[in-house]
Amino acid sequence: MEGPDEIIHQSTRLRIAATLNSLPSGELMEFGKLKSILGATDGNMATHLAALEKAGYIAVEKDFVGKKPRTRVNLTRVGRKAFERHVAYLKDLLAGGN
Amino acid sequence: MNVTREEAAKALDDIGKASDRVFQLKGYHHGAPHFIIWGLVWLFANCGSYFMPEYREYFWPAGLAFGFVASTITGILQSRKWPKGATASAAERRFGSRMGMTAGVVMAFIIAIVFIASPETSREVNAMISIVFPFLYMAGGIWAGWRLFAIGFVTAAAIIGGYIWIPEHFELWMGLFGGGSLLAGGIWLRTA
Repeated sequence: MEGPDEIIHQSTRLRIAATLNSLPSGELMEFGKLKSILGATDGNMATHLAALEKAGYIAVEKDFVGKKPRTRVNLTRVGRKAFERHVAYLKDLLAGGN
Repeated sequence: MNVTREEAAKALDDIGKASDRVFQLKGYHHGAPHFIIWGLVWLFANCGSYFMPEYREYFWPAGLAFGFVASTITGILQSRKWPKGATASAAERRFGSRMGMTAGVVMAFIIAIVFIASPETSREVNAMISIVFPFLYMAGGIWAGWRLFAIGFVTAAAIIGGYIWIPEHFELWMGLFGGGSLLAGGIWLRTA
């Protein structure tokens, strides 16, 4: 059995990955919506999104709607695979593996 | 890095909650425009029938035709809204297919219940058909989210209250409060 994914396992990052994984592949979620779903602060979110982006697990898109800046994120293919592997690891652990 | 069984259980629980929340928000956002459309239909057909009873037989067919066409177009546009290359998640596929099947069952139920009960007045027909939907919203809300339940509860209360206490102005009541509650509910769901 593969070990846990140290980047995804952190609680906030795990919830970010789980939320983005629930969207259709390729669909983006706005930063504000994600923050509100997770009940996290701006600073906390930015830190964890940066860690996930650095690992290549999420892609961040910044643009403007009119004059208003907009930040959107999605889970990359690598991120989805890492998340699925981590979930499989957790399930195996609970099922008595390891 | 070591993960205990307790941590694994909590992590899986967090994942389930996050997934449920997205499923709930998707449902709200997909449902919102349909609530607004049918709120407008209810408002138009009931108020039209009340103020111009000589054209009553035209208001509902026109309203229903508009509602079905607008709802269908909205549903098609929603399904096309995904970005290029996006594929439906399991939750999306589950939601879409269940919504379609549920709509079919509801329509069959309404036809059957009206056929069996044979309401005699337009007020009875109106109330009998209209009361089905808010109770469905309440039942759906138990699974999908409390906002849906609240919309159903308020709308059902408005229908029953109007039917009992203001029978002579029932259509006006249904248009303003029945249609109004759906419109307000749709706008409320959009803000979720």
